[in-house]
Amino acid sequence: MKYKDYYATLGVEKSATPDDIKKAYRKLARKYHPDVSKEKDAEEKFKAMAEAYETLKDPDKRAAYDQLGSHAPNQDFRPPPDWERHFAQGQTSFDDVDLADLFAGLGGAGSAGGGFRRRADPNVPIPGRDYEAAVRLTLEQAFSGTEVQMDLSIPEYDENGVAHRVPRLVTVRIPKGVIDGQKLRVPGKGGAGMRGGRVGDLYLDIAVSPHRLFRADGRDLYVDLPLAPWEAVLGASIELPTPAGAVNLKVPAGTRAGQQLRLTGRGLARSDGTAGNLYAIVQIAVPTVLDDAQRALFRQLAETSTFNPRAHFAPEAAHET
Amino acid sequence: MKLDIAEALAMDERGVLTLSQLVEVSDLSEADLRALVDYGALTPVDPTASSWTFTASWIVVARTAGRLRRDFELDAHGLSVVLQYAQRVEALEAELRAMRARLG
Repeated sequence: MKYKDYYATLGVEKSATPDDIKKAYRKLARKYHPDVSKEKDAEEKFKAMAEAYETLKDPDKRAAYDQLGSHAPNQDFRPPPDWERHFAQGQTSFDDVDLADLFAGLGGAGSAGGGFRRRADPNVPIPGRDYEAAVRLTLEQAFSGTEVQMDLSIPEYDENGVAHRVPRLVTVRIPKGVIDGQKLRVPGKGGAGMRGGRVGDLYLDIAVSPHRLFRADGRDLYVDLPLAPWEAVLGASIELPTPAGAVNLKVPAGTRAGQQLRLTGRGLARSDGTAGNLYAIVQIAVPTVLDDAQRALFRQLAETSTFNPRAHFAPEAAHET
Repeated sequence: MKLDIAEALAMDERGVLTLSQLVEVSDLSEADLRALVDYGALTPVDPTASSWTFTASWIVVARTAGRLRRDFELDAHGLSVVLQYAQRVEALEAELRAMRARLG
């Protein structure tokens, strides 16, 4: 079993009062709770402090924890000889046991008979625990759906009611059309229940990596479409990349910068069988290097054109509208 | 080591759960969930039905509520207020994402 320094995690002394512990936890929870915080590694930090608080706030669990003595964090250690009987009815190994799982299996404070105790009723079914795992996908994987392989460490109860960490390799099929921030449920892939308790579920937090071309808003996708001035003026047929492969896009004559050209159903798939749209946002790209002949052509255009792109600056234009 | 293949399911309007199933997945009590419905933080498919059912899209809200209740020791009313703020933040973040996607 690996040691965890719960007092250090919460930043309190071993002699801290329950009130000190509660205050320290609340202060840290406000800062690192994943539903509130945007700090880097907030979720990992919060998990550690929630685990520490869960044990130290309960007098029985805290007494059990204190009996373990002090060790270096992550150091392998053996609990005192008679310590195990409080958790297990029979002989059990604690080698692959996580402290958090052990304390989670204990009842709360105020149990009859003093000291710490196992769950109140040994016949009550214990549901398997739900787990959350982060999954990072490329936009292409999110678009087409994919399979991800997850190496999980899930606690499963032995016949004595002690949770042991069991390695589990799970291949999960991710449906097409998932979006950044979406949560998916994988039923029955959490921890095993005990005494007929339901099997836990696995919840996946989907994160989609930024793409070099496409930006997502829900299931709509946006891509910048640079056009040469003559393509915007005269119209053009261009090859536009989409997550499903390049398509031919007809750019109408007189297309303006900022205009959105919609490709219906070329975005991410929805569960009802429809799909979001892909929007190509027009940018007018200007050549910065011109040879003499090209410069002459632009000069000729400038001299002959009556087009005034700033006509609306004139005060009379404002009155007309 | 065991090898499993599993389907990940979207939690959306297609799936439906009973109140007791929502209790299981959220770690909230039935009384808490009923109070959250009363405060408008959760909406059953048919609030007038004798047995409430919920679309699977409410799993995320209910699990968030369960987490907040446990981690901040909130009561149902406090939870409903925090959930309302969380939904406002989410809506604003979605608007920001949409603007960034359009503007590049």
